[in-house]
Amino acid sequence: MWTEKYRPRSLDDMVNQEEIVNRLKSFAKAQNVPHCIFAGPPGTGKTTAALCLANKLYGPGYREYVMELNASDERGINVVRETVKTFARTRSIGEVSFKILILDEADNMTSDAQQALRRTMERYTETARFILIANYSGKIIEPIQSRCAPFRFTYLAREDVIKRIHHISHDEDIKISEEGIEAILEISGGDLRRTINILQTAASVGKPIDDETVHSVVGRANPYDVRQMMLTALNGDFAEARKKLREMLLKYGLAGSDVIGQIHSETFRLNVPDKWKIKLADTIGEIDYRLIQGSNEEIQLSALLAKLVEAGSEIKRGH
Amino acid sequence: MHVPWTLKYKPETLDEVVGNEKARKQILQWVQSWDKKPPKKRALFIYGPPGTGKTASIEALANDLDMELVQSNASNYRTAEAVERFAGRASQYGTLTGKKRLILFDELDGITGSADRGGLRVITQIVKKAGNPIILIANNAYDPRFSTLRRYCQLIQFRKPTKTQITRHLGKISAKERIEAEDDAIGLTAERASGDVRSAINDFQALAQGKKRLTYDDVSWLSSRDRKEVIFNTLGAIFYSKDILDAKRAADSADVDLDMLFEWIYENLPHQIKDPKELAATMDMLALADIYRGRIRSTQNWTLMRYFVDFMTAGVAASWSKRSSGWVSFRFPSRIMSMSRSKADRAMLSAIGMKIGRRCHISSARAAKDVIPYLRVIFQNSDEMKAGLSGWLDLDEDMIEYLTSKK
Repeated sequence: MWTEKYRPRSLDDMVNQEEIVNRLKSFAKAQNVPHCIFAGPPGTGKTTAALCLANKLYGPGYREYVMELNASDERGINVVRETVKTFARTRSIGEVSFKILILDEADNMTSDAQQALRRTMERYTETARFILIANYSGKIIEPIQSRCAPFRFTYLAREDVIKRIHHISHDEDIKISEEGIEAILEISGGDLRRTINILQTAASVGKPIDDETVHSVVGRANPYDVRQMMLTALNGDFAEARKKLREMLLKYGLAGSDVIGQIHSETFRLNVPDKWKIKLADTIGEIDYRLIQGSNEEIQLSALLAKLVEAGSEIKRGH
Repeated sequence: MHVPWTLKYKPETLDEVVGNEKARKQILQWVQSWDKKPPKKRALFIYGPPGTGKTASIEALANDLDMELVQSNASNYRTAEAVERFAGRASQYGTLTGKKRLILFDELDGITGSADRGGLRVITQIVKKAGNPIILIANNAYDPRFSTLRRYCQLIQFRKPTKTQITRHLGKISAKERIEAEDDAIGLTAERASGDVRSAINDFQALAQGKKRLTYDDVSWLSSRDRKEVIFNTLGAIFYSKDILDAKRAADSADVDLDMLFEWIYENLPHQIKDPKELAATMDMLALADIYRGRIRSTQNWTLMRYFVDFMTAGVAASWSKRSSGWVSFRFPSRIMSMSRSKADRAMLSAIGMKIGRRCHISSARAAKDVIPYLRVIFQNSDEMKAGLSGWLDLDEDMIEYLTSKK
């Protein structure tokens, strides 16, 4: 994958997050790293920064001193008790006196596991430093936050993303038009991982890339359409809308929270009276809350679709 | 006690095995080639989905060639030591009876990392210098654990037999059992097994044993026809009772468990209730019932069950006018079907997600959501990128097929 091929290997290669990079460099120079939290949206270089820091500290053989765990796949308390602890307590044999443990997607750890982690972090500070990576630092328990140096990653600036696209397309010998680049930017925002995935997918078509190619591959990759599902419900066809919903959840593996997030942002772009938008936002919020509490995704979202059916018919009657 | 038909009708000779004719022939030739001199690759690695006759073929072959079959399967320990004890000696010397030996390591997928550590390494060593033919069997030969071992083996793939082949086989069994079975009934049983002969025979026995006749309906409704009527009456009472107490009582007389009853109501609600306002109100009741189900799960307090029942029965009944626009028949919950159908899909997604996660520093869930959709388009567009990425991610053939197929 190009996302890996073009992942920066050293801190100097990182195109953005300048301040963060500078601070990390000074850590490396002092050969001392505090526990850290890297927080920020996807595709902004959090994991890359952690790996580059390790590279700078330990050199090319850094893998020996670094353990990378993905908290979403290994999020239970047992992982902390066993894997993490075993790694943390053995002393490093190299020049640097500690090892680094990178916990990716740490906001997905259970709170039990986080509690256990807090003790481990304290106890083995001498032999291991933790870098916690998360989209939302708020999902990490307070006591851990207070033990870590916080770093806020932000979306990449437009020019930086464009520079990266040019660099890769030059290296891969592909042609891409201005409109093509614009289209990618519009879809991916400042998320560099998404940008590169779209670029590689567009390149697989084997032609010069323009905006049409970009839209066509993105459409093929994401054939579900939340807006279409909402319009179907507003038009009164509940059974069909429910079928579409089921397809998103089961076939494409979307999480209920993804679907409701998209429903929410689409709501304000719908062609319905403003007072209905607000009414719907209230219902959406309620359903969102229910999902967080662990209710069944399809049932709750179906109830929301039924509300849209009702809204559609009220609006038609001029209410 | 009855004998399982899978045993009773186990193939005695290689010719009786269902399907995979070419693969069977290759196995026979390879084993026979040992009579002249040991072939370059001293083991056969047979792989394919469950129930396609891999083990059965080897057992039948040993029978045909009058060889002594020495087997080790997942129920044995397969640590390095145990394997050495088992096969080390067996592969070096002939038997007391003078029969030739055939060594079989079955269910290799079952070798676990920790308990059977080293087992695969020893098997590989044994294969390299084997004095007797060795057969290895697994569902997936392209599992990375087998990558070294695979190099020293000739690979033979078993595929799923067709519906026609399985139908023919079930037909033979029903003749021997003197069961008069409708062609449709056998056909449907064969189809439901989707290529797994063992499960087809098991199903067939469950449906047909002790019967003189087997009809299509027996198979399609799994021998319980009145179940359909009972659930329809229950649903009728829930949707159309004038008194909400009757709706509540209907849940007690239901022939299915409460979760399943919920699914029936949820499936049929939009087909019975057309008015938008009433649809929203009744769906709200189901969502409320679902919240109570969640509360029961998180608190483990089962007395809350009564509220779950209240809202899905009386709640629905009380929230609409029951002015039916004409008789609409009830249907089977399609969600149940889609969930079981997509189960394999989801398992595949997460397996591929793991592979990507290992390479790209992300979780399997994020990979499934963010990367696989693009990977799919890439695989369908460019064979070159497909080949490169498959190798880099270490995808097996099923995964590649899954990503490439358009569906």
